[in-house]
Formats: sequence, structure tokens, C-alpha cells
Amino acid sequence: MDFHLTEDQQALVSALQSILQDHGELPQGERLSYAYHHSGLQALLKASGFFDAAREMGALEAALIVIEAARLPVLVETGASALVAPMLLPANEGVDGPVALIAGRDLDKAHRNLPIATTALIDLGDDVVVLPVAAGAIETVKSVLAFPYGRFRRAPDLGAGRRIAGAGPKLRQWWRVAIAAEAAGAADSAVNFTVEYVKQRHVFGRAVGSFQSVQHRLVQCHAIARATYYMALRAAWSGESVHADMAACYVQQNVGRLLFDLHQFHGGMGVTTEHLLHFWTYRVRALQAEVGGVNDAARSVATKLWPAPTVAQQGRLVQAR
Amino acid sequence: MLQELKDLEPFRADVRAWLAANLPADWQDKMRGASEDEHVAFQKFWFRRMMEGGFGAPHWPKAWGGGGFSFAQQIVLYEEIARAGAPRLILYFIALHHVPATLLEWGTEEQRRRHLPAVLSGEEIWCQGFSEPNAGSDLASLRTRAERRGDRFVVNGQKTWSSNAHHAHFCLLLTRTDPKSSKTRGITYFILDLKTPGVTLRPIKQITGASHFNEIFLDDVEIPAENIVGQENNGWAVAQSTLSSERGLTILELAERMRVGFELLLSDAQSPAPAGGRLIDDDEIRRRLVDVHVRIQALRFLVNEMLMQVLRGGKAGVEPSIIKIYYSELLRDFTALGVTIGGAGAQHLQAVLMGGGNETGYWMQDYLYSWAWTISGGSTEIQKNIVAERGLRLPREPQPAGAG
Ligand SMILES: Cc1cc2nc3c(=O)[nH]c(=O)nc-3n(C[C@H](O)[C@H](O)[C@H](O)COP(=O)(O)OP(=O)(O)OC[C@H]3O[C@@H](n4cnc5c(N)ncnc54)[C@H](O)[C@@H]3O)c2cc1C
Repeated sequence: MDFHLTEDQQALVSALQSILQDHGELPQGERLSYAYHHSGLQALLKASGFFDAAREMGALEAALIVIEAARLPVLVETGASALVAPMLLPANEGVDGPVALIAGRDLDKAHRNLPIATTALIDLGDDVVVLPVAAGAIETVKSVLAFPYGRFRRAPDLGAGRRIAGAGPKLRQWWRVAIAAEAAGAADSAVNFTVEYVKQRHVFGRAVGSFQSVQHRLVQCHAIARATYYMALRAAWSGESVHADMAACYVQQNVGRLLFDLHQFHGGMGVTTEHLLHFWTYRVRALQAEVGGVNDAARSVATKLWPAPTVAQQGRLVQAR
Repeated sequence: MLQELKDLEPFRADVRAWLAANLPADWQDKMRGASEDEHVAFQKFWFRRMMEGGFGAPHWPKAWGGGGFSFAQQIVLYEEIARAGAPRLILYFIALHHVPATLLEWGTEEQRRRHLPAVLSGEEIWCQGFSEPNAGSDLASLRTRAERRGDRFVVNGQKTWSSNAHHAHFCLLLTRTDPKSSKTRGITYFILDLKTPGVTLRPIKQITGASHFNEIFLDDVEIPAENIVGQENNGWAVAQSTLSSERGLTILELAERMRVGFELLLSDAQSPAPAGGRLIDDDEIRRRLVDVHVRIQALRFLVNEMLMQVLRGGKAGVEPSIIKIYYSELLRDFTALGVTIGGAGAQHLQAVLMGGGNETGYWMQDYLYSWAWTISGGSTEIQKNIVAERGLRLPREPQPAGAG
């Protein structure tokens, strides 16, 4: 595939960027928070039609929206409502966002974005349940990760939702694309933020960023963020589930080193919540654990790419030796 | 050393019995999620209890009320403290290590008499005021200004990252007295009473959610000249004594605690796996557990080797730096595995064990806190420079110096 954006895609991204720039600022009073969901911006993006891009333009365009939105320190929920839900549900069955994505086997645990969600997509393995989330049904759970987390006060009645038979694999596929897209945008911002910091921070009469030991590791962080971006775009473009697995696997595997180095190069600043960095890195950290984490993603890649050889193949191998 | 340690078996039995009799069995339940006040009260209680038992200040000379323990005795003591899962005396860390190392080498008799007994009574908590917003790794670029006015100094400036300053009574303070001298010259070391007018603290919020360190603002703070430690403008040399006290047996205690903490990790790994079976049945988890387990043993070898050298009367050289790098990276991988094993449940805020070690079983907090270990006490990058230049004798990068 060609990663060069088309004119339409370019226009979409520019239009989105200008809205994000004008409206995506973190309020001063929220600078020390762990997460700040910007509901005004969420509504604005919806009114401006960005959540319809998946249906009107395609999954790749929706992924671009997720990536751009994730560059902000403030949170807008786009992964599930702009990408996963439209790719999963028929056009006439659209849902209201924000949307929470939920692993059915952990139903009683806390889930990302549930306190702000109006709809939950629940992965039951084979099937998916689309469940409206009633106001008051959710209690917020405190977390240091940069998303709102909440759990159902009472076990939800899954019968009250719409059950889509056989949609589980497709949900997990687009969930993984959304993870990679969101991580790509957030990681890129975190890397850029750190690059700026090490240029300005001086020790021993020179910029921290002038030490090669720092430069080399930042280059690796940059490469991880870029690679995640391309992997996410490819998975969105091809619609192949194995590409989604690879994209999620890649970023979930590499998050650890990314987070550590970016915080490390901030020195003492890096262990505080007083410096914005955590708004991006803690989001990436949260995404690291979803859809079974790197283990499940890696297994899925291996199973799809390298299924056990058939008897005939095995015979040929023996002959070849 | 082995023979020496063997000879200490009766001593070990004494310590073990004393801990069994004196350590409140429910201390972890009480301190999990405890308030700051409860935490301070319990630290005081436990320190006094340890002092009564004769174990509170093992490395202090007997003449100053300490245990005067041999090196081998201290090794045994810390092994037993870790084994018993006793609290870390975190609030007294600076008072017990940095203060005697500094005052016994550089302090006046009057300063020693004023402060050392007060520390051992549990009354005095201390903090370290070295780092500044623009002086961390490059500590010698510090700018907090102290100007002489007769027999007093007037101090203006800002310190930062000062651990537990909000509980402390006194501060080990580095200032610049001669602004014309650059870097390591023209620095003066003071004892600062934190109740002095003009001292303001601001707690800094950490990535774990807690606020254990602070900014210290100093506005026209008056310090009497008799509070200088060492000589005027000679503070850099004094600071080296303070800093070297960080790198002794504390790492042995941490290494031992990690060995004990591993049992917690191992037991969590017995939990059911999402896809059936136990987590430890998974090859990847098994491999990571073994990796951590082996590295804990290697850490202990590194620490032992360093202790033996010191025991034989040698200098530790670059070993403390190697051990700090090794420990902090291991702690990060250890706690990251904890987060993996903890699964979704490890992601949310839980009650923190106040006064616990670095492996409390609340893995997300332990993991995030592990990041502080690669920065505080001289960052990993600085330690690696030290090892490269002084150990491997590679050509130098700029002059390193670290604090706190
Ligand atoms: C939990 C915690 C507790 C602390 N407690 C205290 C305390 O009680 N009292 C006190 O005075 N201080 C304390 N400190 C401060 C600590 O000493 C400093 O944070 C540390 O020295 C680093 O300084 P800095 O934060 O200014 O980072 P900087 O010096 O700005 O470093 C930024 C980055 O640059 C890297 N870097 C710097 N120099 C080089 C080089 N030559 N080559 C390659 N990379 C380099 C660093 O490793 C780091 O990654 C504490 C810090 C922490 C995290």
C-alpha cells in the first residue's frame, strides 16, 4: 500500500486538525488530573460528521481520525465510536457514542470509557451484545491510567441488548486496529513532547538531547511510534484480521520501553503528573492490556500465519529434506 | 566472610526471635491505605521499638548511641528484617544515613550533640535539599543563594524533589555563597531548621498519585553561621560524604526484600489464567518469572562481592553504580511482570502499603514507583557514565555529579 494520503484524506485530516487545535486545549484546572474527557469537543466532532467517516469514506479514514484525536492531551473517544462500531454494525443500526468496548469475561471488572459511554459493545467470544448504558448504571473507578474507568453497579442484563451472532472476531479485529491507531497518535505526541523537552533542558552546559545515549534511545522511540502508525493504517486499509493482530501485537510489545525512556529523559519531572507527558503515555499503557494483550495478539498472528501443516505438506517437507 | 556469618547464627536467632515478638503481626493490614498521620505515627513507633531492641541504628557508633554492629552483623540484621517483612524506616532514611555520615565527618561537636541523640530518640526527621529545578544530574550548577550578614546568612532560592520534607524538622541544604566561583567551588552546606520564617513547601504530585516529595521555597530565610557544616565555600566536599552514605547496606536490604517479594509474585502467578489453567502454566510467564528469579540471585552476588571488598578494607569503586543500575532495571522488569500477572485488576487505584518495600503486591503502583529508582540517587545514565569512565576507563563525557 501507498502511505501517502490522498487529497481527500489530506483534507479530512487538515479539517480535523484545525478543530482539534482550536478546541482541544486542556483546561488549566485539569493539568494535574489523570484523565480529562472533553465532552464539548466530543460533541463538536460528532456534529461535524467525523464519526460518519468510516461509513462514508472508509476504515482508513476513520483510523486517521482516531490517530489525530489521540495526539491531544485531552481525551475524545473516537476509537470505538468512529472506527469499531461503524465497522461492526450495519449502517441503519448506528449507535450513539461515546462507546465502551468490553471483554465479556471481565464484565464485573472496571472498563475503559464506561463512565462516559452511552453504549457498550460487549465481546462474548462468538457473539457481541450492543447494550445501551443507562445513566446511573455505572460507578466510576479511580485509576491512574489516563482514561475514565468505571464498572457496572449491578451485573447488566445482556438480554436487554441487541445480540449480533458471530460478530466477536470482527469486534476484536477492529478493536485491535483502534488500539494501534490510538496508541500511534498518543505515542507520537509523547515522543515529540520529550524531544522538545530534551532540547530545552540543559545539564553540564549542554542540552540533554545532545548526549548520544539519549539520542539513540529517542530515535528508537520515534521508530516505534512511526511503525505503529503504519501498522495501524495498513490494518485499517486491508481489513485483514491478521494485520490488526500484528498492529496491536507490535505496539503492545513495545510500549514498555517507550514509556520508560520517555519518562526517564524527563528526570524528576518524569515521575510527576505535573508535566502533561502522562496524558499520552498512560493512555498507551492502558491500551497495552486490552483484547488479551500482546500474548493473545501474538498467538493469533502465529495461528493465522502458520497453521499446523497438513499431512500432504508434511510429506513434501520430508521429501525435500 | 562466610565463617564470620556462620559464627553469627546465634545472633541471627536472637534477631529473628526479637522480630517475631515485637513486630505487630497486623501492621500491613493497618498500614495499607493508612493516612499520612497514621503512617508517621507508626514509623515513629516502629523506630523507637527498634531502638529499644538495639536494632534501630546498627551502623552508628556506640559512642553516639548506635549499635556499633560489625558489617557482618548488619548483613544478618537486614536479611532478617527483610525476611520478616518489617516496615522500611523510610521517614528516617536521611536522618539515619545521611545525617551521621555528614556530621561525623564534618560537623562540629556542638552540631553532633545537638542532633545525633535527637535523631535516635525518633524526634527528628530530616530531609535533603540538594536538587533544584535547574540542578539535578548537574548538581554543581545549583543557584540557591546564601549571603553573609554578620554571623547570619540570608538564603533565597528554590529546592525541589525533597523527599518527605513535609514531615521533616531539619534539612541538609546546599547553597551558593560565592556567586563568582562556578560549579563545585563557592558552595556552602547548612543545617536548615524548616520552621524558620520564609520556608514554604509545596507537595509535588507523583505519577503514582501520592505526594512524597516537595518543592522548598526559600525567601529571605535566615540561618545562623554556626549551622554551616564544614567550612564556608567548601560545601561540595561535604556533600560527597552525604552522597556516599546512600550507597552502602541499603542496597542489601533492598535486594533481600526483593527476594522475599518474589514469593508474592510467584504466589500471584498461581492464579487462574483467563484461557484456563494457571498463569504460571503459560510459557511466557514462566520464562519471565525465571528471568527475574535468576537476576535476583545475580543481584545478591553483586552485592555480596561489594560487601566483601569493603569488609576486607577495600574501597567499593564503581560497584555501587553497577549495583544501582542492576537493581533499578531489575525492579522495573519485576514489577512489570507483576502488572502482567495482575491483569485488569492491577490497573486501578488500590490502597498503598505505607512503609512497605518496593514490591508490595499492588503491582501497578510498584511498577510506576520503580521508574523513580532509575532517576533518584543519580540517574541510570549518570551511573553508566561513571562506570564507563572510571570503571572501563573510556574517554570522558562531561563531569557527572548526582544528588538525592
Ligand atoms: C523519587 C525521587 C526522590 C528524590 N529525592 C530527593 C531528595 O530528597 N533530595 C534531593 O535533593 N533530590 C531528590 N531527588 C532528585 C534527584 O536527585 C534528581 O531527580 C536527579 O538527580 C535527576 O535530576 P533531574 O531531575 O534534574 O534530571 P536531569 O538532570 O534534568 O536529567 C534529565 C535526563 O537527562 C539525563 N542525563 C543527564 N545528564 C546526562 C549525561 N551526562 N549523559 C546522558 N544522559 C544524561 C538524565 O539521566 C535524565 O534522564 C529525588 C528524585 C526522585 C525521582
